Amino acid sequence: MTTVMNHKSPTASHRPIMERLNVVTALVLGIALAVISYYLASKFLPENTEGSVMKTRHDQIILIAMFGWFIGFMTGIGALVAPVRWLMGKDLSHDENMYLAGKNAGTARYFRYTTDHKVVGIQYLVITMVIFGVGGILAMLIRTNLGHAEGGWLHPQAYNAVVGIHGIIMIVGTIIMVTGPFGNFIMPIMIGARDMAFPRLNALSFWLIVAALAPILSAFFLGGITTGWSAYNPLATQSPGGMDGYIMFICIFAISTMVAGANITTTVVRMRAKGMTWTRTPIFIYGTVASVALALPAFPVFFLSQVMSAMDRAAGTTFYDTRGGGSGWLYENLFWLMGHPEVYVILIPAVAALMEMAPVFTRRPLFSFKIAVMGIAGICGLSILVWAHHMYMTGWAPLLNAPFMLTTELISIPTGMLFLVLVGTVWRGRLWMTVPTASIFALLLNFMIGGITGIYLSDVPADAALHGSMFVTAHFHYTLMGAGLTGAIAALIFWFPKMTGRMIDKQLSWISFWLVQIGFNVAFMGMFMVGLAGQPRRVEAYAELFTRGNQITTGAAFVIMTGMLVLLWAVIYSWRNGQKAPMNPWQSKTLEWSVPNPVPLENFETLPTVTSDPYGYGKAQS
Amino acid sequence: MSDLQTKKPQWWKSKDVKITAALWVVLSVLIGVISGIVNSRPMGQPASETMANTIHIMKLFTWVSAPVAGLVAAIAIKALMQKMHFGDNPPAEADHQISDSPKATALWLIVSALLCLFALVFGMVVLQRDNNTLLDVHATDVNVTGQQWAWNFDYIDNGKFQSEDLYLPVNKPVHFHVTSLDVVHSFWIVQMGIKVDANPGYITETAVTPTKIGVYDLRCAELCGLLHAYMQKKVHVVSQQDYNNWVTSHGGTI
Amino acid sequence: MSTEVNTHHEHPDVVGSRNKLGVVLILVADIAFALSVLFVYFYLKQQDVGGMWLPRATEGQAATVPANAIGAWYLTLLAGLGLMTNTYALRGARSKNQTQINLGLGSAAAISVVLFVYQIIQMRQVEFTVTWGAYASCYFLITGLSVLHFFITVFIGIGNWNRGRMGLYSDDFWHIDIVNVWWIWMVVSSLLGAFALSNS
Repeated sequence: MTTVMNHKSPTASHRPIMERLNVVTALVLGIALAVISYYLASKFLPENTEGSVMKTRHDQIILIAMFGWFIGFMTGIGALVAPVRWLMGKDLSHDENMYLAGKNAGTARYFRYTTDHKVVGIQYLVITMVIFGVGGILAMLIRTNLGHAEGGWLHPQAYNAVVGIHGIIMIVGTIIMVTGPFGNFIMPIMIGARDMAFPRLNALSFWLIVAALAPILSAFFLGGITTGWSAYNPLATQSPGGMDGYIMFICIFAISTMVAGANITTTVVRMRAKGMTWTRTPIFIYGTVASVALALPAFPVFFLSQVMSAMDRAAGTTFYDTRGGGSGWLYENLFWLMGHPEVYVILIPAVAALMEMAPVFTRRPLFSFKIAVMGIAGICGLSILVWAHHMYMTGWAPLLNAPFMLTTELISIPTGMLFLVLVGTVWRGRLWMTVPTASIFALLLNFMIGGITGIYLSDVPADAALHGSMFVTAHFHYTLMGAGLTGAIAALIFWFPKMTGRMIDKQLSWISFWLVQIGFNVAFMGMFMVGLAGQPRRVEAYAELFTRGNQITTGAAFVIMTGMLVLLWAVIYSWRNGQKAPMNPWQSKTLEWSVPNPVPLENFETLPTVTSDPYGYGKAQS
Repeated sequence: MSDLQTKKPQWWKSKDVKITAALWVVLSVLIGVISGIVNSRPMGQPASETMANTIHIMKLFTWVSAPVAGLVAAIAIKALMQKMHFGDNPPAEADHQISDSPKATALWLIVSALLCLFALVFGMVVLQRDNNTLLDVHATDVNVTGQQWAWNFDYIDNGKFQSEDLYLPVNKPVHFHVTSLDVVHSFWIVQMGIKVDANPGYITETAVTPTKIGVYDLRCAELCGLLHAYMQKKVHVVSQQDYNNWVTSHGGTI
Repeated sequence: MSTEVNTHHEHPDVVGSRNKLGVVLILVADIAFALSVLFVYFYLKQQDVGGMWLPRATEGQAATVPANAIGAWYLTLLAGLGLMTNTYALRGARSKNQTQINLGLGSAAAISVVLFVYQIIQMRQVEFTVTWGAYASCYFLITGLSVLHFFITVFIGIGNWNRGRMGLYSDDFWHIDIVNVWWIWMVVSSLLGAFALSNS
């Protein structure tokens, strides 16, 4: 490790604090502060004297200990270095910033607070894979339990915890799966910049996610959670200590999202290359910005709902307790105000990534770039007006059901525009068949099914039959997984050469593609059927008549699992031994393919000037 | 960027357009028929007009969206039918590709807006019909209380007696007033297609007229804790005579 | 002389403007949070579930009487004063007047400390506790978040004052400009809180 700083002390052993901080110091300090906080809280917190039935000292202690973990971890990773130096008036020097960017640092830079967006992108990729791995294991536990009508393989409390944690982990995983790895690694290069607007905030947004994982994973050891991923109150207040893990997870993740949102948006708005006007900006950039710009006002509402849940549990407030003037409908409104825009936060980058790939693999221009942008904008705009379609059956405001039905059905119009762009692009294109190409068609199929089943659900009378059943579960898996995850995996295969310098093994990725797509469609079609027949969601046992459908879904789930494991193997194997990738293996016209592998620290020798949009395929003759 | 209309005399005469159109018709019918069956079979026989309306509107939406799905499928399949290029290098770029078509876009937008309007109007019509049952003054009132993890019923129009069983007379409207003692549950009578959440601190309403004698399923449709999966009950729809007998045998009045 | 690193030799105005956009975007998230708090307050007030927005007296507990909202308005005025002192400092930076910078930023820092302490004092003076119904829950939510806001303001205030007196704002001073945006938000958010608490 090179000593970069010209500090007063001449001895090489006196390294500045900043150079000593990494994930190990973060873990050590985090655990230490968690233990100390736990001990101090246990010793000095007063016993409950009066007030709300739901308030417990147990929750106070857990929350304090988790907060201690959070402060310790973030201090240990070095997040406070820059703020403290700002306070002291001693801003980081050029050398220090180069150190932080990971100059000449080798693999070590992936394990500390590195600001280089390419490092952060890889870090996001790895953490996303970890999150999907854990979420996937939980999914297999769920489906194994549901292989028999009587359930019972998991204890009901464990089952509910598995379902809830599977849900929230996957939601966070799908939120970051495209904007994390590719929004970070690829986006700045794609717009012709050297890094993001706020490189230190970039490192912060990543390490906050790592810090957030400890609370949610600890939930299993604290009794789990009683609710689904939506953490409805008042049920949440009955939950054992695992719920505090959920709450901390969301609070920390919300900060990460907010920081990433400000960073990505500022980068795209202010740092595009000379000549890259808005009409020459790649559609993937639009998708990324739209997603984070939507998340920026939406996530704080979820954050607040969890803060209030923590207050009900630990301080004795009654926000959600009707005995104290609170209301479960308050929670539901806050949750869904975030919950609906959030699904578009998940979906838009994945679809935008596929729209970015479509011209490359059909060797023709993107059909109607303007409509693609309008579609994205329309979805974002409308998405904040539809939230109460999740609440049709709650009885909270029966007169509002019809207006929300209107706004929800309207959203199918901008969504349809994205379909138009994709089918318009494959029409009469010269198809270069790769897994990303096939993924476009898979998205069209899955998103069609997801979208149309959404139309059924948007109809209030039909929702009376379908809400709270497995039909809903199948619908959102079709949109978030069938469409979203398909786009994310395609993005991985597409940008893998630029991020790792190697091509992903073709055979393995094709095998994975077919296993996942076929397994997925069989699994979730089966789920639609049992939902239509009347199986509620989030149940660990069900009536005899749903057995066949569940067995089909469970069997197909193992096929999905196999496909995902093949993909994992393909990633690991190709990363180490894959065919070395040329600079531009897809002959694509976007800027990220104009830099060599491995990408130099500052991306470009000289910043490029852009003279046209990147979709000029097949125009040579016109 | 060349406009197809000036390049070729009539765009609808080109071969691939004709093939796509043919595919469109075939696929739309196929999708409509299969989806129609897949949707309605599992839902079984409706036990109320509300459910019948729901099944009907889902069939309608299926048939209306089938041509949209069919079009997307037709274009996608036609695209896949051309000679595909595999390998490490891309094929030659496509010639003379249109990168925009204001007419196609306008048509797509207008049609999707019309479909939207259609869905909305029909949805509202059915919603109105369902709401009418709520306003029926002749409806029998039953209070429903959900709690972890059971349902209790208060037959307030029949002498205010309590029961854990739900018996209803056929072809008579019934108005449910639903609440909860603890967390949010959801009162769902599957075959009758009605559902409303049971909230602590509030009373919510739903109403239905059962049209078939039989035994149906009441299931809790909102995760409510440990034994949510078991918060289920059979609903008995019986003849007026049997209902009266049941009521009096429980100490109620007609 | 600014020690702010300028790796790519960009004009300070470009850097400053970019940082300002970043801060504004983060504030968008905070604004969404604050508006949600208002929603919580007015929704629970309108619902008045079980008459427990302001519970009447029972055997074991007095009635919940809302706090005097004038305290929240005093805080808003103070925040306005803080904004004015920071603007004064900004003007001083523009006219390269180091004394004005020091005076303005020093006062702003002092005011931020007063805001922080005074908000806590107000919370301790109310007659109800956090468990006395929905209004009480909302009161402590609003004032608790306000404490957090003022804590951040103290950090920013002291940091800026320290940097100012070290002479770091003699050339470019976009830090002071951005902190002005923060003070504006402190005034607005205090105002929103005061408005809510005046409508109990």
